[in-house]
This record gives sequence, C-alpha cells and structure tokens, in this order.
Amino acid sequence: MLKINNLTKIYDDGTVALKNVSFTVTDGEFLVIIGLSGSGKSTLLRCINRLIEPTEGKISWNGKDITHIKGEELRCYRREIGMIFQHFNLVRRSSVLKNVMAGRLGYAKTMQSLFGKFSEEDKEKALHVIDRLEIEEQIHKRADELSGGQQQRVGIARALMQDPKMILADEPVASLDPVLAHSILSNLEKLNQEDKMTVICSLHYLDLVQRYATRVIGLREGVIVYEGTKKDIKAMTDTQFKEIYGQEAERVGGGLEGTIA
Amino acid sequence: MKKQNMKVKIPQKPSLVPPFVASIFSAIIPGLGQILARAYSRGLIILSSFLTIGGLLAWRIYEQGRRYQDIKTMISKAFQFSPILQIITILFALLYIWIIIDAYFTAKKSNTGSRSYGTGLIFFVLAVFFLLGWQIGDINVGDFFSQADTALPTIGRLMWPWEKAIDRPEEILTISADVLSPCQEEEIPIVEALEDEAYISISPTCGNPTEVDGTPGTEFTIVGGNFNKDVEIEIWWKDPNGNEFRQRQEGEYVKVMPDADGNFQVKIVMPYRIISSTIADENKIWEIQARQLLSVGEAQLSEEFTLAVEKMIETIIIGMMATLFGVVLSIPISFLAAKNLMSENFLTKAIYYIVRTILNVIRSIEPLIWAIIATIVVGLGPFAGIIALTVHSIAALAKMYSEAIEGIDEGPIEAIQATGANWLQTIVYAVIPQIIPPFVSFTIYRWDINIRMSTVIGFVGGGGIGFLLQQWIRLLDYRAAGIAVWFIAITVMILDYASAEIREKYN
Ligand SMILES: Nc1ncnc2c1ncn2[C@@H]1O[C@H](COP(=O)(O)OP(=O)(O)O)[C@@H](O)[C@H]1O
Ligand SMILES: [Mg+2]
Repeated sequence: MLKINNLTKIYDDGTVALKNVSFTVTDGEFLVIIGLSGSGKSTLLRCINRLIEPTEGKISWNGKDITHIKGEELRCYRREIGMIFQHFNLVRRSSVLKNVMAGRLGYAKTMQSLFGKFSEEDKEKALHVIDRLEIEEQIHKRADELSGGQQQRVGIARALMQDPKMILADEPVASLDPVLAHSILSNLEKLNQEDKMTVICSLHYLDLVQRYATRVIGLREGVIVYEGTKKDIKAMTDTQFKEIYGQEAERVGGGLEGTIA
Repeated sequence: MKKQNMKVKIPQKPSLVPPFVASIFSAIIPGLGQILARAYSRGLIILSSFLTIGGLLAWRIYEQGRRYQDIKTMISKAFQFSPILQIITILFALLYIWIIIDAYFTAKKSNTGSRSYGTGLIFFVLAVFFLLGWQIGDINVGDFFSQADTALPTIGRLMWPWEKAIDRPEEILTISADVLSPCQEEEIPIVEALEDEAYISISPTCGNPTEVDGTPGTEFTIVGGNFNKDVEIEIWWKDPNGNEFRQRQEGEYVKVMPDADGNFQVKIVMPYRIISSTIADENKIWEIQARQLLSVGEAQLSEEFTLAVEKMIETIIIGMMATLFGVVLSIPISFLAAKNLMSENFLTKAIYYIVRTILNVIRSIEPLIWAIIATIVVGLGPFAGIIALTVHSIAALAKMYSEAIEGIDEGPIEAIQATGANWLQTIVYAVIPQIIPPFVSFTIYRWDINIRMSTVIGFVGGGGIGFLLQQWIRLLDYRAAGIAVWFIAITVMILDYASAEIREKYN
C-alpha cells in the first residue's frame, strides 16, 4: 500500500509542481492520473520512487516511511517499483537483452554486473520475460532498431526483471499509435490482474482512461482536483472535466474516442 | 486566395522622397536613394558592394600602375598591363548607372506598394567580384597549359619514381693509355693489342690540345678490345694535374658501343686545356681512359627507399603518439567543457567558459604553426611534431568529447536509477554506452587527421617523412621525392579505409 501525505514539490527555479497532494493506493489498483501537460504528473510519479526529491510531505510504502531513505535502503525500495516511460528510455545502442538485463541491476552484485555478468537464474528470468512480451525475435537487435511498440515492451520487460510489486508508468503510450496503445495497456492490465501488481499510470486519452482505470486522479497545476472510481469516470460530466483540463478544453466527440488536451 | 496573384505585396510605408530625388541621392552616395525609399537592406547591400568593388578596383589599378606618379598614366598603364581591369571598370560604371535607375524604381514601387527583389543585381555584383578575383588571383590558364609541357618530365619522375627504389652495386672498369702534349723527343710506345684482357691503344701518342681561338687539336684514334659487350664505353681525360673530365664532341659526350667481340674504335679531338699551370710544364703526360659502368652483384633496395620506409614508420608513430596523448589529456578536460556538467553554479560556469575559450583559441591555430613553436622549444625532430599534434588534438578532441557528453540522453540514466542500480552501475549501463560510440568515432577521426598532418609536419621541422620530402624536393631529387609521395598516398589511403570501417562499426 502506498500512502502519500501532503506532498509538495518546488523546483529550484521556484516552480511549484505539486501542492499538498495526498492520496492512498491500495494493492491491486490500476490508478490513472490525468491532467494537462505541465500539471505535475511526471513529477508526482518520480517523487514516488524518489527520482525527484519531494520538498515537503511524506510517502510511505507498506507502512514504512521512505521519504528520506538513502543508499542501500533506497535501492532496495526502488527495485520493488518498476517504471516505464513515454520515450521508453532505453539505452539505444545497447541490445534488447542488455537493456532487459539492466532491470536486474538492483539485485546483482556490483562488481560482476559491471562486467556484464549475471547469474544463471537472472538470465533465465530475462528469457522468460522476453518471451512473455513477445520480443524474443528482437533479442540481439539494438534497441533503436525496434519499432516504438517493441521498444515499450522492452521497457516493460526491464521493469519486470525487478519483480516489482508496483509499476509506475509515465504516459507509456503517448508516443504510440492507438492500436499499439491498446496493446501496451493490455500488457499492463494483465500484470495488474494476473500478477496482482499495482499500477499507477498517467494517460492522455480519455477513452483509454475509461477502458483501463479502476480509479482516477485528476491533477491541475499540482493540485488534485478530481478523484473518482471507474464508474465515476464513465459518468464524468463536462464541468468536472473542465475543472481538470481548464476552461479551454473541449470534450471531443462526447466520450469514448475523445482525446484530452 | 487566387493563384494568379503571385506578386508579393508587402504593406509598407511610402518612400520618403519622390523617385527622381532618390535617383539623385543614389548618384551622390550609391544606395542612399534606396535607403530613403525605405528599402533599407537593399540600400545597404548596394552601398557595401559598391564600396568593396570600387575599393578593390582602385587597389588593383594602383598595384598595376604604381610606378607612375600621374594618375592618368597610372590608369592607362594598368589597363594596358591587365586588360581585364578595363572590363571591370566598364561594369563598375554600369553598376553605378544601374544603382541610380534602381533608386528611381525602388522609390516609385515603394509608393505603389509592390517591390521586386534584386536577384539580377546580386548576379551582376557576383560577376564583377568573380572578374576581380580572376585578376587578383593572377589566374592564367594559358600558362598552366603551356608550361605543363616543360614540367612533364619532372612530374613523370614524381609519379613513377621506382627506378630509384632499387640500387644495383656498380663498378667502373677503367682502361687507360698515356699521350704526351706537346710532342717531345722521347715518345710513348703504342700499346699492343692484348689477348684476353681489355686494352686500348692510341695513335698518335702525342698531340696538341684545342686552342682557345678555335684551332682544333690533334685527332687521336682509339682502338680498344676485350671490353664487355652491350655496355656503353665512355671516353675520359685525365690532365697532368689529375683533373678528370669527359670527352665531348660537338656538345655531346662521346659514347661508343663495343661490337659483338668487345672491340671498338673511335676518333676524338684533343680538348682545351682547362688550366694552364706551372706543374703542367714539367709533367706533360695526359691520360685517355675508356670506362665501362658494370653492375655487379644482386640488386638491393636503395638508400632512399629504406630511408623513406623508416621515416614513414616514424610518421605513423608521431600521429599515433599524438593521438594517444591527445585522448588521455582531453578526456578530463572534456568534462570541464561540458555545459550540462558545468552549469551547477557560478564558479563551474566560469570554468566552463574559460576552458571553452582556451580550447577555441588553440584549435584555431593550425598544427603546422604549433610545430614551428614546438621546434623553438625542443628543437627539430619527431618530438616537436608530437607536441604540435598533441596540443591541437587535445583542443579538438576535448571539444568533440564534451559535445558528446552534452548530448547524453538523461532518459536511460533515470531509467537505470529507477531499477535500484547504484551510481557505478548507472555510469556503466547508462552513461558509457552512450558516450563510447561517439568517443571512438571522434578518436579514430582524429587519429586519421593526425597521421595526415604528421606527413607534412616535417616540412617545418617536426620529423617524419615530410622532412625527407621537403629535402628531396629542394635537392631537385624528384624520384626520391616521388617515393615519399607514394608512401604518403598509400598510407593515407589505407588509413582512410580503416578509419571508415571502424567508425561504421561504432555508429
Ligand atoms: N527540472 C525542472 N525544473 C524546473 N521546473 C520543472 C522541472 N521539471 C518540471 N518542471 C515544471 O513543473 C511543472 C510540472 O511538470 P511535469 O511534472 O513534467 O508535468 P506533466 O508531466 O504533467 O506534464 C511544469 O510547470 C514544469 O515546467
Ligand atoms: Mg510528463
């Protein structure tokens, strides 16, 4: 269970990216975060695994305060939480296998990992994960030779190598076309439903939100302006919608195919 | 939007002056009229091209006719020496007139709102510049072709120098016989023909040299036998003072080919006495020699060839050492010159700008100049070349490396950190894979440049094959120089290929 209390992030240049954000994520949820570009979604997700240091507030994971942990403790916390990114963030010139193996770094012995040595179990695990995401044919290709959808699957494979209990996904389908978007989100849904991983995912497309989310949080200028269940979002009104997306936003096509912002 | 209406209409303020007045202004200062018609950039371009062309033209005329005080003669002489200047002057005058007319129309069009662009003007100005360049560059295509003829033998030696690559050890067979000059009482007996040894026999055995006034000297008949066949025989003299010189007849050296049995016969006229000296009076014996140049033993690589090989190796070593030092020293510097690493605070930013500036200054000075500076410090030789190339490499590599560092994608770094990797693992898995390929590629590229540079760095004393090449060219030994040129060309070609292959792999 992830508990966030009064989280505030102010960047060095004075930008207030998050203001007093509090919410709780129970295990097994598929929580979607929506909000205009610049509303603080990425900042929020990165505060959760401490890629960004929160300015104020408290984050606790399974009852443990992780807001200020350091070193080995932080690494052990991070490896329980997989992360996937809008731009995949693969090492473009490295092979698919090497990118996937990198997901195991949090468990590996430092010296051996520096020379690219991993245990047999780790290697088997990688092959299994690669198989599961159907990228086995690409295994020895360079990451940048793959299509966008394939690259994102490598990203997921890397996260799965961590044996994560939770997955953070920062707009994982924003650089993909709609068909691929569904395929990637189905992958996440499967992990959520079959492997019982908690998923926190930021999304842009309203129809995707309605299709996959079990709960939704809306951010605007770093403040939570909306919280709703799957039912709520399906019945979302224009006023609620505008509250999240600002006055200028129009609900395209009145629903399912609509894109937001 | 109608397609026919293609003319660009720029809404603009009307001209400040009527067209006619604009012309007058442009006649006084070319371009001023256009400026007053609010065609500012057009006016400035016209003014600056007019001034540059006018300035260059005046300079060329002065240069060509500088010996004449009076301006009129100066100009007419300049036109006489360099007819192209006449054409340029006419075009310049046309340009002036055109500018005046252009001012009129620019002002008029300004008022009506439409304006044409000065493509014609630009081409005209470019043409005038081209002609000026032709004159200043002293371009003479005729010379190029007429003189190519005389240069051909030299170029031939440069292009196919391999005769010089092989040495055959040679021996000179010299057979001589004495003659007296002037004739005296006691005579030298005529040499008898020998059975199985080379000999020459001369008759008569005394005579007089050719006089300064042209009276020809005594004609001697030389008969020789048992010489090597198929090898030319040269006739030489050795005067009583021991000076040796070759016999000439009608301006040509005398050469005879012995017959199938090794016998020959030739008639020569005794040449001038080069020196009249006191010893000569006592000792009146001259020697006539028949010489054959015989090759003995195995052919072997010439001294020039081995020297060129040695120096070529030295050249490659210079390039490699400079690259090695350059890489080692530029990596730490490149971190200081990377903006993303150095924008932490004011101090690091200051270091960044200082390092960048120094690197830019060093890089803008050519390695040849660095080599000259280095020879002042450490003297001539390969070390100076290594220093010069190292200095330049550091500056060039540090800049390229730092740009590679600046180009690092932060994405993979945060992704690897998110997996729970520690600092070292993040560097090895997310940073190094990103910078290795550009680093390798830049390094190979530098290595390539350094070896090319090391082939010429010897011209200014930096060691390597350039030093030999420059020496041989000065000694007019074009064959040896040709060998050096070939070596350079072959090395650079192999290098080109190898570096392209390696860089391809690391792309
Ligand atoms: N490193 C940073 N330094 C300063 N401001 C930042 C930085 N990263 C993001 N911001 C600002 O914080 C706000 C939230 O950004 P972000 O979390 O990226 O929003 P989102 O992911 O919803 O588009 C934006 O105003 C953005 O400009
Ligand atoms: Mg974002």
